[in-house]
Amino acid sequence: MILDSKVPDGPIEKKWDKHKFETKLVNPANKRKYDVLVVGTGLAGASAAASLAELGYNVKVFCIQDSPRRAHSIAAQGGINAAKNYPNDGDSVWRLFYDTVKGGDFRAREANVYRLAQVSASIIDQCVAQGVPFAREYGGTLSNRSFGGAQVSRTFYARGQTGQQLLLGAYSALMRQVGQGTVSMYPRREMLELVVENGAARGIVCRNLVTGEVESYAGHAVLLCTGGYGNVFYLSTNAASCNVSATWRAHKHGALFANPCYTQIHPTCIPVSGDHQSKLTLMSESLRNDGRVWVPKKKGDKRSPETIPEAERDYYLERKYPSFGNLVPRDVASRNAKSMIDEGKGVGETGLSVYLDFSEAIKRLGAEKIKEKYGNLFDMYHHITDEDPYKVPMRIYPAVHYAMGGLWVDYNLMTTIPGLFCLGEANFSDHGANRLGASALMQGLADGYFVIPYTLGGYLTSTKLPKTDASSPAFKDMEKAVAERTKKLLCVNGKRTPSDFHKELGKIMWDKCGMARNENELKEAISKIAALREQFWKDVKVTASNEEFNQTLERAGRVADYLEFGELLVRDALHRKESCGGHFREEYQTPDGEAKRDDANFSYAAAWEFKGVGQEPVLHKEPLTFENVHLAERNYA
Amino acid sequence: MNLTLKVWRQKGPNDAGKLVEYSAQGVSPDMSFLEMLDVVNEGLIKKGEDAIAFDSDCREGICGMCSLVINGQPHGPELGTATCQLHMRTFSDGDTIVVEPFRARAFPPVKDLAVDRSAFDRIMQAGGYVSVNTGNAPEANANLISHHVAEKAMDAAACIGCGACVAACPNASAMLFVAAKVSQYALLPQGQPERTRRALKMREAMDDEGFGNCSNEYACEAACPKEIKVSNIARFNREHLKASVCSEE
Amino acid sequence: MTEGKCASKCRLTSFMTSSLGKKFTVGAAGFLLGGFLVVHLAGNLFLFVGEGAFNHYAETLSNNPLLPAAEIALAALFLAHIVFALKVRFENAKARPVAYEVYEAKGGRTIGSKSMAVSGVLVLAFLIIHLKTFRFGDDKDGLYKLVMEWFKNPFYSGFYVLALAGLGLHLSHGFQSGFQTFGLNHPRYTPLIKKAGLVFAALIFLGFASMPIYFGFLRAP
Repeated sequence: MILDSKVPDGPIEKKWDKHKFETKLVNPANKRKYDVLVVGTGLAGASAAASLAELGYNVKVFCIQDSPRRAHSIAAQGGINAAKNYPNDGDSVWRLFYDTVKGGDFRAREANVYRLAQVSASIIDQCVAQGVPFAREYGGTLSNRSFGGAQVSRTFYARGQTGQQLLLGAYSALMRQVGQGTVSMYPRREMLELVVENGAARGIVCRNLVTGEVESYAGHAVLLCTGGYGNVFYLSTNAASCNVSATWRAHKHGALFANPCYTQIHPTCIPVSGDHQSKLTLMSESLRNDGRVWVPKKKGDKRSPETIPEAERDYYLERKYPSFGNLVPRDVASRNAKSMIDEGKGVGETGLSVYLDFSEAIKRLGAEKIKEKYGNLFDMYHHITDEDPYKVPMRIYPAVHYAMGGLWVDYNLMTTIPGLFCLGEANFSDHGANRLGASALMQGLADGYFVIPYTLGGYLTSTKLPKTDASSPAFKDMEKAVAERTKKLLCVNGKRTPSDFHKELGKIMWDKCGMARNENELKEAISKIAALREQFWKDVKVTASNEEFNQTLERAGRVADYLEFGELLVRDALHRKESCGGHFREEYQTPDGEAKRDDANFSYAAAWEFKGVGQEPVLHKEPLTFENVHLAERNYA
Repeated sequence: MNLTLKVWRQKGPNDAGKLVEYSAQGVSPDMSFLEMLDVVNEGLIKKGEDAIAFDSDCREGICGMCSLVINGQPHGPELGTATCQLHMRTFSDGDTIVVEPFRARAFPPVKDLAVDRSAFDRIMQAGGYVSVNTGNAPEANANLISHHVAEKAMDAAACIGCGACVAACPNASAMLFVAAKVSQYALLPQGQPERTRRALKMREAMDDEGFGNCSNEYACEAACPKEIKVSNIARFNREHLKASVCSEE
Repeated sequence: MTEGKCASKCRLTSFMTSSLGKKFTVGAAGFLLGGFLVVHLAGNLFLFVGEGAFNHYAETLSNNPLLPAAEIALAALFLAHIVFALKVRFENAKARPVAYEVYEAKGGRTIGSKSMAVSGVLVLAFLIIHLKTFRFGDDKDGLYKLVMEWFKNPFYSGFYVLALAGLGLHLSHGFQSGFQTFGLNHPRYTPLIKKAGLVFAALIFLGFASMPIYFGFLRAP
């Protein structure tokens, strides 16, 4: 298989315009003859579904929650980047492009990133027009703040609830279409199979989570907007129902999975407090604008933070990276926290945290101003930890947050299965090995509002799709497969709960394939995961029946997929013998402990082909060339 | 801590439900309420019993998926938090806690503590949007919006659509939810072209769903995890009155 | 807008049958009734001036040719207030078919707001008795004597005071609730309106109750 990224030729500034012009259009009258299935209603899914319906396509939308508004995009806090250059601080499409490629440690496809930067400004226009209440200056113009990995202020925000407001904007556009009858909404549905007929994606098979019925839906194209796989680590900042199942099932049908080892560990999360913990809570990176990260200089210093004098504190990010200071990219901040903690300088009862201190900012700006900027984050922290961050420094620890890897897609966002598109966090395309803060929202909305409405038409006009419907044999086969799998899960009747397995898998992943990885431990992880998977199918216990709302059954299915996917993630990490962005191999580091890339051998996207559970997957490489941003060691000092 | 739980169990939408007693042993004060239920559920599954069904997702108070009426209070006794942000340190050893679903005719039961809140989506479909197609937007800074207005719109837009207002209202009214959305758009210039239509359509959809009538008791405001103010309800009343009586549209 | 239910012709009908419109009607009628209470109280206070003054006031009032019209309007207000309130009440009862096992508001609700139905029924019962005794009572010796006779009955006076307490309670919620229903809410003025509502409720209660208390209990032999 040769991976064709279908990146148009010509200078990078012209590629997208040229491609839009060259892509064939679907006649307005013909659009309603096409059924498009959109799975997932986060920023990517909701914006795509609404935009396609506005164009006239017949859209069916599926989500796992009770309402499309619950998708996990809602939890994004800090903001969304756009090259508007409102602050007049030197931003441009080119600079956003440059920062994103560099921030991604030169492992992203240049053309995609440039397009992302190009459409970023239109996203802000669109969201403002929808009534998204972005923060404003007193003069009435939009307000910006700075974020990690950039020296300009290009982040637009709505308090600490930017993701919520952007999602509600996209959701409202979607609801408008549902009200007009151009979109049919299917909530509480979980996609459990992709239907491929004559080599093209033609539909999906879902389980109705309320009744347990297996339902089939046919269409001319399927859009997976199902988010990331961070929950493979069990503890992550992702929502409980975030899962890899939809993309994993597509992978099993032939869609290549790219760069799964690129996982982002977010530096500012609330530390773990005990075994019972079901999730980790992230606090926006924007906190690093005013908060200063430090640890005591002395190992095992158990004094309370306010009694440690300035001279005995190590503001290690400011010390090591004077020009970016506390605003270094996430991977750098996380790794430095880990190394401080590994040196024994961690704080808090468990020693598994570092301080994020606002006392200086409160002195400088006043508590009122800080409250206005970060009030909800401070409240959230206070609720969870029972400590008041206005009085004592926050304690933070890194946690799994975002998946840069995902289904491999070409420039049109189409996977290796014709007719199967993948948008947002679920694909691998734009962030390389590390995503910059406030860029996930940008990518999800770029894909949904401004890319897929063009590229989908190109596919539909250039492909002859025979008539099919949910009664065809391909659908019946998949329905049977889903029913059998469910039955299998219910029949094991072992002793351990699905969550129990999930926790164990998460521990393997975090310990062996977390912030720092090495060959021995990765190899160990592969065999441990395989063993756990085997045990799962012998010893899992799923109570109640299929024919009802059964959350234990739902969880079991997702954990089963994670047990297969986790192995792929580790294999990818093992094969990538370099450190880059969120993937840090202990064997490959510079003398001062920074990630050391190997551009000669690993400047490619690793796209894996499924060959069977427990079988070694086949690697396909998409070479990455950097014609516009020159390969360089990332340096934030 | 050891606690006694009385949890509403109901097999399906058409079955009768009842409170069933469970004991929760060794509860840590740092657990969230939902994590405590997770632990109870793990125990139930191991015993071969059906786990207690309840909705939750983000577990950080923003998705609006979690619900629960805890000792008669939606999202529990704390102010300004969702159930997922309620920690067990709020309770004392030996407490008995009654856990029920959000109850309203417009929120039919799904199972146990999970209910169907799609009525909110249908209200949104009636007018909870600005009609602007993708690509149709003017330059973002073309409309100046004062800081104060933007903040007020944001206060209203902070609604997470959890339905606690309905659950807390003695009349199961959805006024606070609808009013928050109507307010957000009524305050902003983007919402002006559809202002009249929106107030009328959303009110009509709200009434069609079978919610009760607002009696200005403000239990909704007290229960709202995002502390949405009832001044939005007044604004909705005003908008609706204007749309019904004054508007020529 | 020209389509469907929102066509301008039926806009008012649809307003009146809507949840918000019904509340508006209850509130508007309530406000006008509140105005009536003030006038009524002012008239009643002639009791303290003396028999002559009070009877003169009563006769002037009953000889006013506009009185029947005013009385019909007043009855219509009562009727609208009661009918719409009842309708709202029944709909509210239907909106939660399965009651909570435990129900406790986190705030917002007051004794006044919780007891609107009870206080409303109490006031209605009082109204009927009140009309029978005074409006349609035998006042051939002058209304003053009739009033005094009834006030001297401790059961009647006791009931009178109790019912007026109910009215006060009703107003304590109703006053501010009306403003909210009309859409009059402002961060600076709403707290004042709430306080004014309590003061108004207290004044109405004290004003009316002062008469049976004074004439029935304090001045009684």
